[in-house]
Amino acid sequence: MSRIVVASKKPVWIALTVALVVHTGLISLQGRRRIDTSFIRVWIIDSLAPLEKIADRSFSRVRQSWDRYIALIGVHDENERLKRENDELRLQVVQQREAVLEAERIRVLVGFQHSGIENPILARVIARDPARSQTITIDKGTAHGLKTDTAVFTPSGIVGRVIHSSNYFSIVQLIIDSQSAVGVMLQSTRRQGIVKGNGGPDLDLDYIDDDSDLKEGDTFLTSGGDRIYPKGLPVGIITSVGPRRGLLKTIEVRPSADLGRLEEVLCITQQHENAEVPDPTEGQPVP
Amino acid sequence: MRRITTIRIIGRFATALIAVVVMQGILSFKFKVFGYFDLPLICCVYYGFTLSNPIASIIIGSALGLMQDSLSGAVLGANGLSKTLIAFFAATAGGKFAVDQVVTRVFALFLFSLGDDLLVTILALMVGSGSGPTYSGAMSTWLLSATFNTLFGLVLFGYHDRWSNATT
Repeated sequence: MSRIVVASKKPVWIALTVALVVHTGLISLQGRRRIDTSFIRVWIIDSLAPLEKIADRSFSRVRQSWDRYIALIGVHDENERLKRENDELRLQVVQQREAVLEAERIRVLVGFQHSGIENPILARVIARDPARSQTITIDKGTAHGLKTDTAVFTPSGIVGRVIHSSNYFSIVQLIIDSQSAVGVMLQSTRRQGIVKGNGGPDLDLDYIDDDSDLKEGDTFLTSGGDRIYPKGLPVGIITSVGPRRGLLKTIEVRPSADLGRLEEVLCITQQHENAEVPDPTEGQPVP
Repeated sequence: MRRITTIRIIGRFATALIAVVVMQGILSFKFKVFGYFDLPLICCVYYGFTLSNPIASIIIGSALGLMQDSLSGAVLGANGLSKTLIAFFAATAGGKFAVDQVVTRVFALFLFSLGDDLLVTILALMVGSGSGPTYSGAMSTWLLSATFNTLFGLVLFGYHDRWSNATT
């Protein structure tokens, strides 16, 4: 009897060992980056993301029908229009404020070229990650010009960067992810630093030259130093300045974009290379 | 005829597993609270307990985990490994303990949920691409998630009991 039980249990252990070896192998291959395992991910994304898109559309249609015809007839459209208008105006205000500050700052500079964003691609968010890491899935991929490290943003602020791309879908790592870091500068003083995600709703200031003049309400913009996000896009606002821990004060930054309610995002596939800003003293008459 | 039945059963299982992963992605995008649920984990425990077939459970756990990893920023294999182990333990427990008791189910679901979070985070940190919560509220997130998973799992098991009582 005992022999029969032992014999029948064997396949279970074989199956378990095979499964564990396969998964451990996948993990270690990624850790050592010997073999590119991204094709597995691309294959699964290409197979499952269309289903997510269909489910998302069906869900959105049901919701839209409710919003438009049952709950609030006509009000929804007006609200959507006003939201769009508001987003556009906010972006314009930020850009103009930036332009004024920039103009004042670079009057004496020679040969400065403004960094611009060319043809941003509008993508729809179709799902959030099913494994509780801070990622979203969007319905644009390599076929639309997206690739790893493509910057993703909304008019309110930056959202994140593409980390995996299949032909028609991409996984975007949000800036609040614990593996995310963004090069930033303070809008008022142009002091540069780095903010990092911590997996929570806020960002942590990881580095800055001098934190003595930082205060609540200060705005951080992208510095362009990370070569992912173009310069001058809103990142977040300081919500708390805590006591010094190590070299820096504990500073929490609330992202400008509402990362919990993303529906459409813009992807930057092309941007002008930032021209190196010359030394401000250069070209001025020597006393 | 027997082969057709087998293919049909496998097809149904595959559809159910894909639906679970897709629903998890859609629901956590549409409703923030679903970010705390881990439907694939509940599915692993559910199939582990109800099928009491370790080999089938291992395959289900592996497939669910791999799909979950692919559709997220998580390291490929982390959820796969974790869900495989959970499905195996659930199936083994299903054959040895009285898993039709509410207390056993609560205990198992809560522990499996915490274990899954812990293992995935450790694996991700070992590879150096940890994307799980590393902020101070990580433990509270795990506890909240374990509570939600336990409650949802109990509802699911309740329906299963009702359905199996009705058919027998």
